[in-house]
Parts: sequence; C-alpha cells; structure tokens
Amino acid sequence: MSGHRVAAITSRLLHQFRRDRRTLALLFVAPIVILGLLGYLIRGSASAPNVGVANQDQGTLGATIASSLEHSSKISATAISVSDGNARLKDGSLVAYIVFPTDFSQRAIQGAIAPEVHLEGSQPGSQAPVLQALQDALASLAAASPSAIRFQPKVTYLYGGPDFDQLDYFGAAFIGLIVFFLVFVITIVSFLRERSQGTLERLMASPLRRGEIVVGYMLGFTVIALVQAAEVLVFSLAVLKVHNQGNVLLIFGLEALMAISAVNLGVFLSMFARTEFQAVQFIPLVIVPQVLLSGILFPVSTEPKPLQYLSDVLPLTYAVNGLRDIMVKGADLTWSSLQLDVGVVAGFCVLVIVAGIATLRRRIA
Amino acid sequence: MSEAFAVDVDNVAKSFGTLRALDGITLRVRPGEIYGLLGPNGAGKTTLIRAIVGLVAPDSGIVTVLGRRMPDLDILGRVGYMTQQAALYPDLSVEENLHFFAAISGADGNVTEVLKTVELEQRRNSVVATLSGGMRQRCSLACALVHRPRLLLLDEPTVGVDPQLRVQFWDHFREMAAAGTTILVSSHVMDEAERCQRLGLIRFGKLLGEGTPNEVRAAAGTNNLEEAFLKLSGRASE
Repeated sequence: MSGHRVAAITSRLLHQFRRDRRTLALLFVAPIVILGLLGYLIRGSASAPNVGVANQDQGTLGATIASSLEHSSKISATAISVSDGNARLKDGSLVAYIVFPTDFSQRAIQGAIAPEVHLEGSQPGSQAPVLQALQDALASLAAASPSAIRFQPKVTYLYGGPDFDQLDYFGAAFIGLIVFFLVFVITIVSFLRERSQGTLERLMASPLRRGEIVVGYMLGFTVIALVQAAEVLVFSLAVLKVHNQGNVLLIFGLEALMAISAVNLGVFLSMFARTEFQAVQFIPLVIVPQVLLSGILFPVSTEPKPLQYLSDVLPLTYAVNGLRDIMVKGADLTWSSLQLDVGVVAGFCVLVIVAGIATLRRRIA
Repeated sequence: MSEAFAVDVDNVAKSFGTLRALDGITLRVRPGEIYGLLGPNGAGKTTLIRAIVGLVAPDSGIVTVLGRRMPDLDILGRVGYMTQQAALYPDLSVEENLHFFAAISGADGNVTEVLKTVELEQRRNSVVATLSGGMRQRCSLACALVHRPRLLLLDEPTVGVDPQLRVQFWDHFREMAAAGTTILVSSHVMDEAERCQRLGLIRFGKLLGEGTPNEVRAAAGTNNLEEAFLKLSGRASE
C-alpha cells in the first residue's frame, strides 16, 4: 500500500467535488431540507383537529369539562348542537364531536363518567388528539372537584420527559439515516462513473493496487461525509433542538462509522451495476427495506416475529438503536447494549471494506 | 534493461463465452520500434492490448512485458496505455488530470513537457468537459505519456482526430521511438500503417502476417497496402 498513490486518489476526489456544485448542494443542503421538513411536520402542526362539543348536562360538570376542552391546545373545540353533529362529521368540518348527556353530572357522582364520543373514524391519526384532550379535561375535572372523584395519576419518566415528542424520537434515527443514505448514493454513482467513463480501465492499467483504490475512495468520501455528519448534528441539536442526553462526540463517532460503511457499501455494490441507472435501482432494494425494518419508523419489538429476525441482521437497526440509546437515554460506552450496537456497525464497516476490495476485479473474466 | 523484446505474446488464447477473441496468437515487439496492429473491427486488437497490459487474463499462453511476466503491477509504471475513448475525468482540468495520472504511476510527471507535446499549454487550466473532441484525445494521449513510459500502448489513438492532428501525433510517436520508447499502436487506417516500422495483421484473433510495410505488400503481391491487407485477410477466411 503506497500512501502516495492513495493520497492521489483522495485528493482527486476532493478536487472533483469542488467543481461539482450540484453534488455538493445535494450533500449539504438536502439534509437540512429533509430534517427541517421533518421538524416542521412534527412540531409545527398548528392545525388542531376541529371538535364539536354539545353540552346537554343539567348539572355543572358538563360545562366545566366543555370549557376545559375549549382551552385544550390539542384540539380546536367549538360548541355545537347535537342535531348538527352527524351532518358536520359527514361534510368534514369536524373530525369528532363530544356529547355530555343530560344526566352526565348525576351519573358522574354515582361513579360513572360517561361522555359520548362520536368519531369520523376514517383518519386514525386525527382521533388520538381528541381522546387525549378529553382525558386531560377529565383529569383536570377530577382535580377541580375533590368531592366527586379522585383521579390523580403520578407520572414519572425514565427517559425523555413530558416535552419529549416524535421529533426527538425520529430525529435521533434520522441523523444517522440521512448521512448513510446520501453518502451511499453519491459513492455508488461516482464509482460507477469511473467505470463508464473508462477511467477505471486506466486505473487498472497502472501500478495502483485494488486496496489503494478502495482506501483512496474511502478517505475522500469520508472527509466529505464527516463534514456532512457534523452539519447534520449541529442543525439537529442547535436549530431543531432534538432531545439529546448523551455525548455529542459519541453520536458523531457512530455517524462516522455509518458514513464509512455507506462509502464502502457503495463501492461494493457498484460492482454489480453496469450503469448509473442500475445503481439507482439499489436504493429500493438496499435502502428502503432497511428504513422500514431498522426501527426508524416502527419499533422492532412491535414487528411480526419473522420480520424481527430480518431486522436483527440489518446493520442499520443497530445504528439506529445506538443513536437512540445515546441521545434519548444518555447511553455511553459502558452500556453493553451500546457496545453491541457500535460493535455491529464497526463489524459491518470492516466487512464491506473487505468485500469492496475483494470484488474490485483487475481483470475481466 | 536489455530484454530481447519489449512485448512478447506467446501463443495466447482468450474466449468470451463461445467467441474466440484471441486464438493462439504469438507476436513480438522489439525495443524502440513502432509496431502497427492492423485488423478490422472485432479482430481482437483491443483484447490483445488489454491482455498485454494485464486487464484480460488469457485462458492459455504467456504475456511478457519489458522482461516481466504479466500480470505485474510494478512494471505498469513503465507502461503508458491510451484507450480508444478518451478516458479522462471530465470535471477536472487538463493539468489536474495529468497530475493525477502521473501520481498513480509513481512519477513526478513531466506535465509541462507533455502539455507542450500535445499543444495544450494554453488550455492547461480548462476543465476537460469544455474541450473539443480532438483536444480531449490529445489530453488523453498526454495522460498516457506523462510518466515517461518505456512502452506505449495506443488503441486506435487517432479515431475521430482530424488529419492535421493525426500527422502531429505520428510526429510525436516517431520522436519518442527515436528516443527509445517502444510503441504498439492499433489501427484500421492504412495510411497510418505506412508509418509503422513493422506491421502485424490480425483477424479472428490470429496473426495472419507480419513484416515491414514493404514485406507485407510483397507477400500479397501488390503495391497497395490496403489491397495487401484485404488479400491476406481474405486468404484466412477461405
């Protein structure tokens, strides 16, 4: 292995990036767009679902709950009359309406709190806030009228906290996924371009060793990937304020491992594609199943059993789990679960480096 | 450094599936000569050159380059290889391409000198993508020369090159050969064949005839090299 020749490849790649503005934009603007969009989608949802409230209660409890519903930030509640309810669900102006029947207070005192909840039902996502708002209102009622009912759950959090939201959960995984995905796409395409423009033939007809080509590529792209990883991390923590309990350097280290494996996976898989078009076809094959099964969207423990086995062999599963453990739970390297995660990602990294070198054939046939 | 042949191809065969690209070919190029490899499209010229440089593993036979049995990575630092299509990095400048190819061959490179040779000094900072076809071809040649190779393999170097530039290319080749560089050049253009010291006619992966242009003409009993070539290759297909 000659350091001089490796450096020639690495510095050539960096020169090429300097000229290729569009690819640079993809690498450094795309993550901000994706993460920014994700953050806005999850945190910026100002449009609380419209809920009608019809209070027919002859006692006072119905009115108390109705007013606390109107103050809820989870829904946007307006008073309606019962007879309009179904019509307004149908025309789509309400996703639900809640009725407090005439005997609501009376039955509540006897121990049965029985509001009627009518849901539109076709959009599962919008009914959760309705039920949540109602629960909050009932809890506040219990607190407000100590004579009636006692409902005072004491909630403590092992991890996260009352402000922990979806973005904190997804953000941790996305930090790794974005770096992995973009670096993979760029490496596989640029390595393939080397093949299609004939320069690989020239490299092969030079004293360059296969390992030198792979290592040169790895270093060049790793430099770019590390800058990107740092950018993603800073944006997530400083701008999006994604919950982080752990050591930033540890997050960066795991991101870097993912970037290095993405580079080498790209080099390795480029051997199995003849054109850039074929290379792009690896995305649905290699990336999408990992996104679905690595626990980014659905926790692995809730998957059907056979799929769990599959998830257990995907490297991204461990990367995602590790990043979440660090950021959400504040894990450090003394945790055995994090040791496993980092170990698997590092092992995968070595595996694809070796596979890349082994499959880069100097001679055709 | 005084091996008898710069290139020694001994009874080399190579098949791709059912296609016999090289059919037991034997060919020797002497140090410092310009050897022309002639043959129609698909005759096996490119496969032979790729076998010489170690990119094709022969099914049988032995390739020796500058005294070393191929494949041998280190000897490739003394070999310049110009592919049929200009294989360059389009988003790098002319000079950056040259520096890169010099560096991977382990040479400091005579960048300024080769830029002068191919007359691209004015465009040294131009990005390759902005060059004309002929300039790219010149840049590609420069990349094959930049590490001062002792053996130069040129696969149809003048395809798509205008006649004036072709004359310039051949002037360079002659100068280099005079300075001791061995040149193996493939072509299917007959007026180029005239400029080689020796010719090898290949077809169907076999060497049909070999000699100086005059010898080839004499062997075919004609004054015209093109006719000679057609006659000789016609004989083989009978």
